Amino acid sequence: MPRLLLIDAKWEGEVKLTDKLKQHLKKTKPKSIDLFASVQFSDITNFLEELKKLGIKVNITKAKRTNKPLQILGCDCYPDSFKDKLESDMILYLGDGMFHPRALILAVDKPITIFDPISDHIKIVDRKDMEKELQRAKRNLKLFLNAERIGILVTIKPGQQYFLAAKKLKQDLESKGKKAYIFIDDTLDPSHYENYPFIEAWVNTACPRIGTDDITNFPQAMINLRDALDPIKALENLE
Amino acid sequence: MYKLELDKLIQTIKQQKAKQVLIQLPDGMKHKADQVADAIEEETSAKSFIWLGSCYGACDLPLGMDILNIDLVIQWGHNKFNKESW
Repeated sequence: MPRLLLIDAKWEGEVKLTDKLKQHLKKTKPKSIDLFASVQFSDITNFLEELKKLGIKVNITKAKRTNKPLQILGCDCYPDSFKDKLESDMILYLGDGMFHPRALILAVDKPITIFDPISDHIKIVDRKDMEKELQRAKRNLKLFLNAERIGILVTIKPGQQYFLAAKKLKQDLESKGKKAYIFIDDTLDPSHYENYPFIEAWVNTACPRIGTDDITNFPQAMINLRDALDPIKALENLE
Repeated sequence: MYKLELDKLIQTIKQQKAKQVLIQLPDGMKHKADQVADAIEEETSAKSFIWLGSCYGACDLPLGMDILNIDLVIQWGHNKFNKESW
């Protein structure tokens, strides 16, 4: 395998506590904030000083899959993804785009305040913004529970490859009288699923966001590995 | 419509003592993947796995299968390919 170099590609600007954000904080009055950021916006020494001047306690936790505290990855989308519980008055995410805030929406059933340092734009999102996906997830779990023939998806992308877990799941499903087939690829392209009409439900063992964000893009039922291991509990969590 | 040649498949798996076999089918035959996978697991001691994606030709082989300890890749629909050199 060749050697590897990873480069943060940090934003060239400075993450500031802008007047707009200050006004928003004055209006919403949080005494404490759980703070997250994508790596591009993780140089926040001055930002933290400004928040301290406002008398706001900032909690910075470490997500399981990240290298450092503050940062969040898209796969940190479960309630137990963080070292500390997120119990502050406000969850604030610094960054652009919705990919990482959606991880927080999936992880905690609380509003997420997004501050985009580039556009100086503030947005508040919550589970209503993923209502379609969550309803589809419920339907998919029910279909999985009733399915007799299940396809288990494995990627060879090194950071997402769970071949052993897939084999174990297959064994587990077959001990319960179901039939399971393991499918392998690099990129798991949904356009391929319809080629296997004998599969009644799919289990994704790769990036968990494939089994959450993407599921409304195709008709087949798909759930994530974690939910396949305890589908009843997964359904209860969604009800 | 197209011959799966399952007898040849089973014989090869047994001869090569393959333990983990990857099935790669072109689009028009993918719906038979379960039939092939079941035949492998019922008639040999090998475990079978299915390549989800493309099978455009013998030029289009799944890479990195050694990481998963796949012993044998079986592709349907194409025969030997001689790669052009530039």
